[in-house]
Amino acid sequence: MLKKMWIIFINCFTISMTANSGYAMFGVMKNRFAGKYGWVTEEEMEDYLALAQSSPGPVAVNSAVQVGQHVAGLPGAFSAVMGIILPPFLIMLLVTYFYTFVSTNPYVRLFIDGMQAGVCAMLLDIMLGLFKTVAKRNHIVYYLLIVISFLYVRLTKYSIFYLAVFCVIVAIIKAMVSRQEVKRHD
Amino acid sequence: MTRVIEIFLAFIRIGALAFGGAYAAMPLIEQEIVDRTGWMTFTEFSDLIAIDELTPGPIIINSATFIGMKLGGIPGAIAATLGSILPACIVSIILFNLYKKYKTIPLISEMMNCLKSMSVAMILSTVLKIFLTAVFGNEIALANINIFALVMIVVAFITIKKTDVNPVIVMLGCGALSMVLSLAGIL
Repeated sequence: MLKKMWIIFINCFTISMTANSGYAMFGVMKNRFAGKYGWVTEEEMEDYLALAQSSPGPVAVNSAVQVGQHVAGLPGAFSAVMGIILPPFLIMLLVTYFYTFVSTNPYVRLFIDGMQAGVCAMLLDIMLGLFKTVAKRNHIVYYLLIVISFLYVRLTKYSIFYLAVFCVIVAIIKAMVSRQEVKRHD
Repeated sequence: MTRVIEIFLAFIRIGALAFGGAYAAMPLIEQEIVDRTGWMTFTEFSDLIAIDELTPGPIIINSATFIGMKLGGIPGAIAATLGSILPACIVSIILFNLYKKYKTIPLISEMMNCLKSMSVAMILSTVLKIFLTAVFGNEIALANINIFALVMIVVAFITIKKTDVNPVIVMLGCGALSMVLSLAGIL
């Protein structure tokens, strides 16, 4: 058990150190835990990815919990999560320490300010990617939710929590309506 | 100590609502850390997005460590990081066990789609703010328009969209180019 926990931890640790996006990390996890160790099937891994996407928070952490739990129960989930969060945590401690010293330096400032153009372009690209997955389902409700959410975020100062609750209620109603439609077709 | 607990709670709220990929967390951080508590300025916040891209690991953990460390030292960093992943871990453990029992859960995929729609709007809102700050500075007026920044955003976007170049390289390129041109007195 301890050996399994250690293998999970050390694999997640190296994965987290080398990959940046959650999907890239998931790919390597699949390669190690399904391919190299054979502890989980590829099909199960696909399902875990879907579950990871359905949970709040980073996909990397969520899929680590799923795979870790599959292999070694809650201790497995714990070692997987620790492996995923330790490298970024330690690196960011160092980076923040330096940032506080260099962020007011005029040359560094010019550089960081210039980078904002790239940040803007990248976020735009990410937003369009997310929009595409929503648009694939092509339903008026999703487009309405985008418009309502945008107005809510821009025009009001209320917490996003209420907006999330609203979205969940819409989802429940929509799921109930589509179930009834399926019944009628039968 | 109260500071550390406040940071922990703020990041639990952020972690619990970050649906639809890690970038969905950015607008939440903006609302919680910049607007609501005023712990950070908008400039520091947009610096943070750039720094996140340059470092490995999930963006929500990077930002949590960065903000926690700035606000409350190492205890703050630990509180923020653990807070940001706690809801994710709890929900994941519950979903894992539900999945083992029922295999498919249509309601969950429906919830995902609705929450993703919300994320689209939230990221759009953050992009818009960064875009306006980069192009117009503090005051939105035609006289303030920074054509160079505008051109750079368009070129950067096309590069990310149409080529395989790593976005990190594109961002570093933007930074280097604008620094060199400013120092040469062209801007």
